[in-house]
Amino acid sequence: MELKKYINKKLTCFLKAKEKEEVLLELINLICDNKEIPDREELKKAIFYREKLMSTGIGLGIGVPHVRIKGIEDLIVTVGIGKQDIANYETIDGIPVRIVVMIVAGEGQHKPYIKFLSLIVSKLKKSEIRKKLVKAKNEEEIYNILSS
Amino acid sequence: MEIEPRLNILILIGLTILLGTAGSRLFKKFKTPQVIAFIIIGFFLGDSVLGIINKQILSSFSFFNIFVLGITGFLIGGELKKEIFQKYGKQFINILLSEGLLAFVLVTLFVVLIGNLFFDNTNFVWALGLLLGSIAAATAPAATTDVLWEYKTRGPLTTTILGIVGLDDGLGLILFAIASSISLAITGTNAIAIPKIFLHILYEIGESIGIGILGGLFLSLTVRKIRDKYGIITFSLGIIVFILGLSKLTECDILLSAMIAGVFITNYIPRKSKEVFEMTNELMPTLYILFFTFFGAQLNLKNLTLPTILIAAVYLIGRTVGKGLGANIGARISKAPKTVIKYLPWCLFSQAGVAIGLSILATQRFPGEIGNSIVIIITTTTFVVQIIGPLAMRIAITGAGEAGLNITEEDIIRESKAKDIMDTTVPLIYENMSLTEILKIFSETDNLYYPVVDKSKKLLGVITVDHIKNSLMTSGLDSFILAYDLMEPVIAKTSSDLPMTEVQEILSRHNLEYLPVVSAKDEVLGFLERRQISRKISTKLIELQKQAESLG
Repeated sequence: MELKKYINKKLTCFLKAKEKEEVLLELINLICDNKEIPDREELKKAIFYREKLMSTGIGLGIGVPHVRIKGIEDLIVTVGIGKQDIANYETIDGIPVRIVVMIVAGEGQHKPYIKFLSLIVSKLKKSEIRKKLVKAKNEEEIYNILSS
Repeated sequence: MEIEPRLNILILIGLTILLGTAGSRLFKKFKTPQVIAFIIIGFFLGDSVLGIINKQILSSFSFFNIFVLGITGFLIGGELKKEIFQKYGKQFINILLSEGLLAFVLVTLFVVLIGNLFFDNTNFVWALGLLLGSIAAATAPAATTDVLWEYKTRGPLTTTILGIVGLDDGLGLILFAIASSISLAITGTNAIAIPKIFLHILYEIGESIGIGILGGLFLSLTVRKIRDKYGIITFSLGIIVFILGLSKLTECDILLSAMIAGVFITNYIPRKSKEVFEMTNELMPTLYILFFTFFGAQLNLKNLTLPTILIAAVYLIGRTVGKGLGANIGARISKAPKTVIKYLPWCLFSQAGVAIGLSILATQRFPGEIGNSIVIIITTTTFVVQIIGPLAMRIAITGAGEAGLNITEEDIIRESKAKDIMDTTVPLIYENMSLTEILKIFSETDNLYYPVVDKSKKLLGVITVDHIKNSLMTSGLDSFILAYDLMEPVIAKTSSDLPMTEVQEILSRHNLEYLPVVSAKDEVLGFLERRQISRKISTKLIELQKQAESLG
């Protein structure tokens, strides 16, 4: 599996929101504006429910909100880079979140979903990648860093 | 408008099967053997009450009765494996002789005693006594085995009953031949030397055994090469019917020939014969409905007089005491298991086709009062014992603990609900459990599927071993991936009261390997996995087998 296949320029952005809940909503809106989502409310509910079970702040300044819902045919990935630390995003190591990758998969997409999650996390665990992402000037650059 | 006669018979057969099935279901509610329902329905449809099934119809079905009796004999033979003869052979002979001969002696004496009060002719009374005594020795194989099959029995009592009912018709026939020759001599109708009669009987038995062995050998050689089940059943039926026809042609004992054929194939081709018997057995429920309903229809109780009622009463007493006491003595002598000694006396009361057949034979050999009295007495007593016999048997086989021990996988499924089979110890995985915790549970259990629940144990999804395998590639994410991320949605679920037949239907319809069992509030009560269902059923079958073996 290649990350490039799922990273979409239109779905990368610099986050305007400064706080976790707003950041999640901003990324959900970005997905809904660019992709056909059968039920926006269900997506919102599922993302927030998952966060309630356990925060997706996996450490090293990375947040990976992810969910599987009905009616999605292929993985949808959106990337948001925070200009500053995102408030209220609980993390394992206490390092504030700056990079958020939201993954939305279909109910039956267990294997690609887990595989993508694994690949993106291993990539983001490299500090030079994280540094490049935080310093990126535009969406094109974000896309290039993650697709390379 | 007159209905065309053949159509009439078809309507009648249809009606009989429908009424019989409905009646047996009703009787089942009162824990009464179905055979009683068939006979009572037949009795009402027969000449005694409604006259719908009349003599003409009954005589056109006489071939059918032979067929059913033959198939019954064949199936009984199938139960008599070499090992059974080795284990129970001596016991069979002891019990057979004591119950048959004691019934013969007591009935003869009782009838003579009472008969002397009403009739002046002593020879006539003795002839009546001897003939009725000999008829009393036989036990109805079809009615007896129908009860055994209905209650799915297994164990030493069942084996002994099958052995006895298979053989005591033969004893009845021998006694009848002797009794009729003595009766002919003392009533002065015709005298035949007794040694000649013995020779004739031996010849008949030899003929039956010969036909049975030849038929069994032919059947074994034929079905051994056939693989498809329809081929097996059609060839088997063809050969069995041929054996019956040949026995009728040579005027030897039909039941014995068919039984010997069954004994032959069960011992000659044990594995393949299992298929033959299983498939033949499947025909029996429908055949028995017609057989016993027609049987009930031919019971005519119109010509009862005081002497015949009293003689019928002493016949019943003599036969019941003789068979019961004889079976008990025989079982004690042969040191049979306790359950056989205690309960066998209650299992040999049924009397049907053979007794009626012999009574009709008596009317041919003794036209006039003796013959007519015998028919009336046998008809009346048959009606009574066919009601009491199966009931007594049900109580006995239940008391002996043998009911329900001879069941198949399909029976267990048919009689079970989800709650009887479900695994209630399946570990629950909570939605917020991490992959690390899930892997720990996985390593400690051998399940392939796990229900995922929320904190109130409400079912949310299922995690499969495949999911766990896939998640192993997410190294470093073990504490961050949750059950919620891994689970798949629930495609189907069931309540604990759903019959297992429907559970299996759901599993097949959705091509599922598992099915969660939930309460009305969707809380997980248990879990059904295909392989666990098979395991549980196999364990149950082994338990029942051990239980049956422990009885003797």
